[in-house]
Amino acid sequence: MSSSTILAKTSSDPTGQVSTSGLVWEMARRDILTLFRTPWIIISRSMAFVIQLFVFAYFISGMVVYPNFFQYYAVGSVVAMVASISFIIGYDIFEEAEEGLLDYLLTLPVSRRQFIIGRALGGAIRSMIYIIPMFVIVAVLEHFANPLSILAAVLDLFLLAFGVTGLSITMAVTVRSANRFDVTLALLDLAVTRISVALYPLTYLPNYVRLIAPYSPVTFASISVHDALIGTSLNATSLAGLLAFVAIFLVLGATIYFRRLEGGVYG
Amino acid sequence: MISFDKTGKRFGTLDAVKDFSLDVRDKEILGLLGPNGAGKTTLMLMMGTVYRPTSGSISVDGFDVIKHPNNVRKLIGIAFQDARVDGILGAFDVLNWHLKMTTVLDKEERAERVEQVLRAVDLWDARKKRTWLMSGGMRKKVEDCKVLAQRPKIAVFDEPTAFLDVPSRLLMWKMIRELRDQGSTVIVATNMMDEAERLSERVAIVNRGKLVAIDTPEVLKGRTKGGEVLELTVDDGQEFPRGLLTQFGEVQDVTQNENKVSVYLSSGRLLLPKIVETLTTGGIKIQSVHLKEVTLEDVFLNYTGQNLE
Repeated sequence: MSSSTILAKTSSDPTGQVSTSGLVWEMARRDILTLFRTPWIIISRSMAFVIQLFVFAYFISGMVVYPNFFQYYAVGSVVAMVASISFIIGYDIFEEAEEGLLDYLLTLPVSRRQFIIGRALGGAIRSMIYIIPMFVIVAVLEHFANPLSILAAVLDLFLLAFGVTGLSITMAVTVRSANRFDVTLALLDLAVTRISVALYPLTYLPNYVRLIAPYSPVTFASISVHDALIGTSLNATSLAGLLAFVAIFLVLGATIYFRRLEGGVYG
Repeated sequence: MISFDKTGKRFGTLDAVKDFSLDVRDKEILGLLGPNGAGKTTLMLMMGTVYRPTSGSISVDGFDVIKHPNNVRKLIGIAFQDARVDGILGAFDVLNWHLKMTTVLDKEERAERVEQVLRAVDLWDARKKRTWLMSGGMRKKVEDCKVLAQRPKIAVFDEPTAFLDVPSRLLMWKMIRELRDQGSTVIVATNMMDEAERLSERVAIVNRGKLVAIDTPEVLKGRTKGGEVLELTVDDGQEFPRGLLTQFGEVQDVTQNENKVSVYLSSGRLLLPKIVETLTTGGIKIQSVHLKEVTLEDVFLNYTGQNLE
């Protein structure tokens, strides 16, 4: 390097190809790391979960005539929590679009498909990390010790998280007004988690909810997780429903994302 | 080479860019000069595959931006006008992640590269400070450093020295020139005349989404009527009689913007006394007279009929 030169030359070729999996993982890792930069969110959510479980769930269990309702509610709470947390990625992407950071991310040498899979994967893994403390509490309380059952339940939860992140990303690129987006996502979060059998059995739900609840992705995940942890079996129908949910929203999200962003919505 | 061929971009009913054709040569520094809203950023975002052109085409090193966007992205690095960085990260992490995504440098090489650019722009000591806590100038440096550290084949800078103080501006220009010397093709979008003139080998003047002129600053200035400009300030509200001056063969053109009159001419020094006498005799009250050589600003005014700043 000459004395007047600021940028030193290097012998490395920096323009080579980074592997596809490497790029997808880096996109995912970026979202995962944001969670660890704000650990207080995990702590506060876990505390809220503990209070919900040990105060509300205990209280209501004594009033409901249902075999082991506490266990039902505890497992369902984890499922509902995964869905709820997975919506956060949509807020992140909407904010990035508003701040212009998304334009930068879209100039990186990542295909749109890699980009959306990376983001959904990051959001899903983030949700899974998020609920680890809550899952552990429930597993200890209810003595869930079969590794295969736990693995199957984790897979169900992961699929739910993956699908909800896809849904959330789809909303983030479909709704353009910030206020409308906040309201839409909050309502969607409520609808997906509450119009389901996660927290209350189907027979106890009002008639109008009972019509829709069986088709909620949270219901699919709930049934599947319950069957895996309590019934120690795989529920093929629920699993298929979950897989369809993931596929639909990832493809839909990617398609809308691709068309709307490159069409210049944020210009 | 980068080729824009009758490129257009329409947002709703607005043509942000229209029939834009331009070839950017390998390893040159091209200045895109235009006011805010001229379409510079849209051009860059189309080239960077963020926006899809609605008409015409753009090819980057032979790759069409619509058909082969992934190949194009591997060649380009864009430093945006406003810093586009994760506010929660420090400068080191921002640059390190950028290099991770855009290069195959290993961890040590990335660290070395990042340290080099951050030291150069005097941000090394603040490398861990979260960027959202930084001043506008510091954030802008981080943004520029992304591309300086990446050293892409095609480097694009949007207003690279906005928010920077004078020494930092000079340093940034030097670093951009070095980037070109190391083999990058550089496009600099700016609305600052001195930046376009001092940094660019060729300047493309863009106005309302269209290319209005392109050449070296010298040629553009030489092409501007006469080579000299006589700037007159007259009393407010006076209708300026252009005909009084266009009778002189040396006067090429006369433009008026409120009470400022620009007379494009040659042999200005010789003609100046005659002009003043003619105008005074014609009842025009002159407040001030200033004779100067044509600048890029005059070129812009001449081509677009409006002031840039």
